[in-house]
Amino acid sequence: MGMDNPGGIPYFILEFGDELVYFSPYTVSLFILALVFTLFAVIAKPERQVDIVFGGDAFYAKETSLAELKFRRFMAIACGFASMGAMVTGDLFNFTLFISLVGICNVGIVAAVKNRHVQNAAYQYGIVALSATVPLFGAAALIAATTGTLSMVELWSNASLAVPLVVKALLVLGVMGEGMAPFYAAKAEMFRAPGAPYVIMCSLSSLLIFLRVIEVVLVI
Amino acid sequence: MIGYLLFAVTFGLLLLGIHRKAIARIQRRPGPPVWQEILHMLKFSFKSTWIPATASDTLFVGVVLVAIGIWSAALFVLLAGGSILIIFGIYMLHKIVEHGFGLSSGSPYGKFGGVRSVISAASEIPLFVSVAVVALYTQSLDISSIIQYQNVHGPLLFIVPLAAVAMYLVILSKMPFGPFSIVESKELVSGYKTEHFGVWRAGLQVSNGLKTYVLLFLFITVFMGGIPLWWTLAGMVVLTLSLSFVCALSPMLSPFDSVTVQMVITGIMVVYAAVLGVFA
Repeated sequence: MGMDNPGGIPYFILEFGDELVYFSPYTVSLFILALVFTLFAVIAKPERQVDIVFGGDAFYAKETSLAELKFRRFMAIACGFASMGAMVTGDLFNFTLFISLVGICNVGIVAAVKNRHVQNAAYQYGIVALSATVPLFGAAALIAATTGTLSMVELWSNASLAVPLVVKALLVLGVMGEGMAPFYAAKAEMFRAPGAPYVIMCSLSSLLIFLRVIEVVLVI
Repeated sequence: MIGYLLFAVTFGLLLLGIHRKAIARIQRRPGPPVWQEILHMLKFSFKSTWIPATASDTLFVGVVLVAIGIWSAALFVLLAGGSILIIFGIYMLHKIVEHGFGLSSGSPYGKFGGVRSVISAASEIPLFVSVAVVALYTQSLDISSIIQYQNVHGPLLFIVPLAAVAMYLVILSKMPFGPFSIVESKELVSGYKTEHFGVWRAGLQVSNGLKTYVLLFLFITVFMGGIPLWWTLAGMVVLTLSLSFVCALSPMLSPFDSVTVQMVITGIMVVYAAVLGVFA
């Protein structure tokens, strides 16, 4: 058993056995942020990234084709929904599922850009995300095996159910692998792609799942 | 609450003005008056405003509202004695706001500011260590419980001084003109906020005022306990002046050095928290 209600006292818990959804001040705050940025992805037009032509004073604005726009927007919205699910779920297996979905969507958002350098970055990120599913789902399986439940509420309310520290570390490792997109910000290749509002969803979802896993590790 | 919100914005901007003035005086310049940031906010509110042709229009405007919204929420959580984890979350989400500001305009200057903001995410980890250490001692993340703990045991500043140092460094990384202010450095014009002008910049000023107020108030509350408001405000001024000295006397690091130094600090803080976790 971890610390009691680190995210505040839940307002509402919707239970279906072990499957549950809960809204605490913390999860609601993160959920609202995911919702707001998903709405931005739905409504906003993409930016027209300004690039400089080397060897002169000229510059040009990149255009996003309609086909690319549609796919990236779809992926950004799917990423937003997956992030919202990961924020409010109280079930560890669903949590890992949503996290892996976030990872897939992040790869999709970047990989849709028809640029060799950007696709190279997406490919590398995809490999990391793929590898991270092993510790991620492994952690969920180990928690089920050691405690007999995947309900976060059950895990924090029952003092006899202790999750081993190494399993928590595996869970964090898995989330880090799936949500590594912000670290790819350091790669110039990724920013050859026009970014807003789609690349923002990569950063936002990764940060949100990082924030949520902190709460999860504290409560289980 | 609206009245307090306005007070927090004004006092936060005043602290930023004091910060600028103190830096200038330390560097033997006259500097602007201390209310300069408040004047900036008022001036920008009435300047002509439009959206650049290359911008992602909804995001360009929406991110300003998100910035004000998240720090207003943080202030509410702080005053209500809510969970410090929520404020930690909001602080981290401010990175996304900076990223959103930078990327939404299409400008390369804003973009690089936003990218620098994301790559310096290591500066947030000491805050988490600070929160973890405080939780380790007080067995709670509620600000009201942390205040109660200090009423019994004395200020946490003297119990876990390194956790206070970690949070101080986090605030330092958010102060303008500091060694870690790579997101707004001059080679990027104004970094992530380059293209936000007019009323959008006024909104950004409001969120900066709130952010400064919340972070300094949080520091005093978490490490000094529930002291009277006037003492808290005086403490915030003293804290600002100490930050100004650090900013005035240290050069801005290059992006690579800034991230490296922040990661070293993070490593030290993680080891500190682990040692405390084992021996506490």
